[in-house]
Amino acid sequence: MNGVVFDIQKFSIYDGPGIRTTVFLKGCSLSCSWCHNPESISKKRQVQTHFIKCIGCGRCFDVCPQNAHTIVDGKRVYDRSVCIGCGTCTDECYSGALIITGNKTTVDEVFEEIMRDKAFYKNSNGGVTISGGEPLLQSKFTASVLRKCKEDEIHTAVDTAGNVAYTSFEEVIPYTDLFLYDLKIMDPIAHKKHTGADNKRILSNLKKLDKEGIPILIRVPVIPSVNDNIENFYMTADFLLKLDNIQAVEPLAYHSLGAGKLESMGKDAKGTTFDVPTKEYMAEVYDIFSQKGLPVIRKANTKKA
Amino acid sequence: MSKRLTYQDRMDAINKLKGIHTLEKQKRDGTDGYWDMDDKGLITPPADFIFEPETNTPEGRFMGNYLCGKNYRKLLDTHPIYIDPMSSLAGGWMHSFFDIKRPLWDPQFDYSHLHERQKRYDIVSGIGGMQHFNIDFDMGLELGFGGLLKKIDKYQEIHDESKSDFYNAERDVFLGIQNWIQRHADAAYEMAAKEDRPEIKESLLKMAIANENIVSKPPETFLEAVQWIAWFLMAAVMYNYSGAGGAIDDYLYPYYLKDKKLGRIDDEEAIFHIACLLVKDNQYYQICGTDLDGNDRTNDISFFMIEAAHRIKIPTSICLRTHKNINPEIMKLSVKYLFEDQLGTPAYLGDESMNEGFMKNGYSLEMARMRTKTGCHWCALPGTEYTLNDIVKVNFLAVFDVALKEYYENLPQNPSAEGLYENYSKHLEIAIATIAEGIDFHIEHMHKVFPELVLNLLCHGPIEKGIDISHGSVEHYNMCVDGAGIATVADSLGAIDAMVGDGKEFSWNEMMKLLETDYEGAERERLMLHSVAKYGSGGSKSDEYAVRLSETFSSLVKAKPTPNGRNLMPGLFSWANTIPMGKVVGASPDGRKAGRPINHGANPHPGFSKADTPTGLANAVASVQCGYGNTAPLQLEFDPHFGIDEGGVGLVSSFISTFMDMGGTLLNINIINKEKILAAHKDPAKYPNLIVRVTGFSAYFASLSTDFRQLVVDRIVEGL
Repeated sequence: MNGVVFDIQKFSIYDGPGIRTTVFLKGCSLSCSWCHNPESISKKRQVQTHFIKCIGCGRCFDVCPQNAHTIVDGKRVYDRSVCIGCGTCTDECYSGALIITGNKTTVDEVFEEIMRDKAFYKNSNGGVTISGGEPLLQSKFTASVLRKCKEDEIHTAVDTAGNVAYTSFEEVIPYTDLFLYDLKIMDPIAHKKHTGADNKRILSNLKKLDKEGIPILIRVPVIPSVNDNIENFYMTADFLLKLDNIQAVEPLAYHSLGAGKLESMGKDAKGTTFDVPTKEYMAEVYDIFSQKGLPVIRKANTKKA
Repeated sequence: MSKRLTYQDRMDAINKLKGIHTLEKQKRDGTDGYWDMDDKGLITPPADFIFEPETNTPEGRFMGNYLCGKNYRKLLDTHPIYIDPMSSLAGGWMHSFFDIKRPLWDPQFDYSHLHERQKRYDIVSGIGGMQHFNIDFDMGLELGFGGLLKKIDKYQEIHDESKSDFYNAERDVFLGIQNWIQRHADAAYEMAAKEDRPEIKESLLKMAIANENIVSKPPETFLEAVQWIAWFLMAAVMYNYSGAGGAIDDYLYPYYLKDKKLGRIDDEEAIFHIACLLVKDNQYYQICGTDLDGNDRTNDISFFMIEAAHRIKIPTSICLRTHKNINPEIMKLSVKYLFEDQLGTPAYLGDESMNEGFMKNGYSLEMARMRTKTGCHWCALPGTEYTLNDIVKVNFLAVFDVALKEYYENLPQNPSAEGLYENYSKHLEIAIATIAEGIDFHIEHMHKVFPELVLNLLCHGPIEKGIDISHGSVEHYNMCVDGAGIATVADSLGAIDAMVGDGKEFSWNEMMKLLETDYEGAERERLMLHSVAKYGSGGSKSDEYAVRLSETFSSLVKAKPTPNGRNLMPGLFSWANTIPMGKVVGASPDGRKAGRPINHGANPHPGFSKADTPTGLANAVASVQCGYGNTAPLQLEFDPHFGIDEGGVGLVSSFISTFMDMGGTLLNINIINKEKILAAHKDPAKYPNLIVRVTGFSAYFASLSTDFRQLVVDRIVEGL
């Protein structure tokens, strides 16, 4: 079975407990304005560009069947609108200026990568996290990878935003030890505005999932001007208090480290970068959840928000 | 009345003064790096201090027992007194004895028959190399200087006149050290008499008494033991840069227990004395490990060492010998301070892997446990083993280069990376045989050039037999042979396998042309070769080659002893020779341009995978261990954030134990902020307190040469 993977991150220490390998699947059912994994949104194969590395060999001009690479007024131009993501140019590019993302990958290939770090999972109480994008859009693939992990007694986690049919959850539940569940904004209108979808299905899926008896770690991105009204966090906490299997809440401070990635996908970073919340503000957010009696995970730095 | 100075106040003052000394040294020896090595606590001597040794060579140098002893005594007798009243310990060394006047070798001992091969394979032969073995402080502390002197007298009487030069030289060194100590005891009394601050007056008096006591008698108190060790180490480092501190927690623990029982010391004071010791010379110290029965050896002094390094905040070279039953609290504390202080200390040594490896040389587990970390990347038995550790190396890339050119000149019908590998192995065998001959040659003659007059005193055999340690007087001769450049060669073989030959991107002719022209005008082709999956990427052909390179090297080193029967032990380590070893070899098939550095130690080249991760590095380095009790270290750079985050300390501790479980031997860790190191590289003077782990040692970044700073920066920031 194949999945569309855009990254496998080793020594991942921000996506669940211990030292983990996080497998990032391509394709998402939300399009959050702050998302700094723009390559994760579409399920299609896409070209990422890092023209600063270009050595000017010109092979991409010669081989592209779509003429997506051209020179206009003496400047190199890459026309994303005609690119079909065939990867012919990236195969010829050794400088790292053009990289294909979203190759089909087999369960065995992913598992082989996972197994390379197996020794580290055990000592650190770590394991494997399948993230995205939205991993549950590829629930069969996710389930297959996780099943293999469980056969090898590796701890498993699924990092989801929950905006999928519940049947997708059902496919992975038998092989999942922990869910990382994103709760971004409680107000449905604001949720739709900033993520492209309302949160009704997300919240109802969470309630259902809670009944399965699997621990859930709630992840709350803290994004100035999007969801940083204190009320939002109180509402999140109140919602969570009604649930039985919430292991902890992990507020994640927004960071602007992914701006370069946006450029690599031909997107303007302007308008999609936000202020980074201050330490003091984060402390306030942590306190809201702890005062409500919810265990809070505090990390100074995160790769994800 | 001014506030009474606390121990921390005094440590801060000592640290500040060391900063001033460091700037003085940088100023004196040039702005572009004064020492590309350990910061060994050297203090700039007063401007009027001149040391003129007697010479006995046409070039105005000196060699042999008689003059080495006589001159060293003269240096000790005329050495300026140095007492920092903030410190509890007297002394400070100001002059490198061997640097200026010692000849590298006596030309009458001719080894020109080895020169061509040594050059061809870029061999660091060890001929003329000094120290790099371990001494037995237990013996020294038990006998004291008086007891050791009696030992010299006793054995001189037993032997005939032919040994008198040796014994007289040892006695000269000895009396010089005693006199050096006595002069400091006298000075400390004088300073105490003039001192107004009561706590400093008291400290100077204690210092004076302690020093007076240990001139002849064995140390009785903790302070005396620490001061005794400090004197011996300063004498050793000044004589020939020895760094053999050893199992300090074992040595000092009985004195601590005794003082504690008698109510003579509290923990704060013990930590302070240790911090003062670290300042005298940042020797290589080992803490923890297992005792002869396999129990955890961690004791209070192990903790104090970590604590003292944390409080004094200078470059130190402490190594924590970890194992399955290590006290988890010391692991936690060491990792916590590693991240908090960002001083690159401690390093971590894997007890089990080191023991298992050493036992393969025919030693018992008990013996293996006694072998102590005393250098950049190596261990040795205290006082009974001669090793030349870290100063015998072969440049794998130079061997590969010779093999490749020869293979190409006689290219077979179906050339392959495999065929080339065979040719490489053939040349490596010749290189190792050359090293073995060189080691025998060194052991035959070194004692006539520059005997180990200081370290001999704390070994078992030299004094008893009247023979220098370098000439056969101790029980064990386990000679180091390190290989350097494993990643560069593995990646080159991987690149050839993937890209060169029939039906592949390049013909052998084309590849050789690229190398000859140093990829001039062929950047795309260079990148094609460079893009082949590297050692460290996991499961690649280059990974396979790296494992094979290590196995081939180990089996060739272990195939036979030297012609004179000395045991050889393989390891993988470049030290900082990555730069000179890269400089002498032209472009390589992995896309490395001519003259660029080879890889560091056993590490993959930076940029070995899409995202170089600690686990990827650890997997790679664990897979290439030679497995005979010498290390193939992992050099790791961590972002400071890892340790600060909730659970970060636990994660890093588990990372360390997993690496050791996988067979890892030694782990050196830098905690470095990328932006900071880049800024410091641009303007080092702005970062006088930035300490980095260069390789097996830590140093002030600003004191390194541009080349060495680049070495550290490259490892952290980018690949080829």
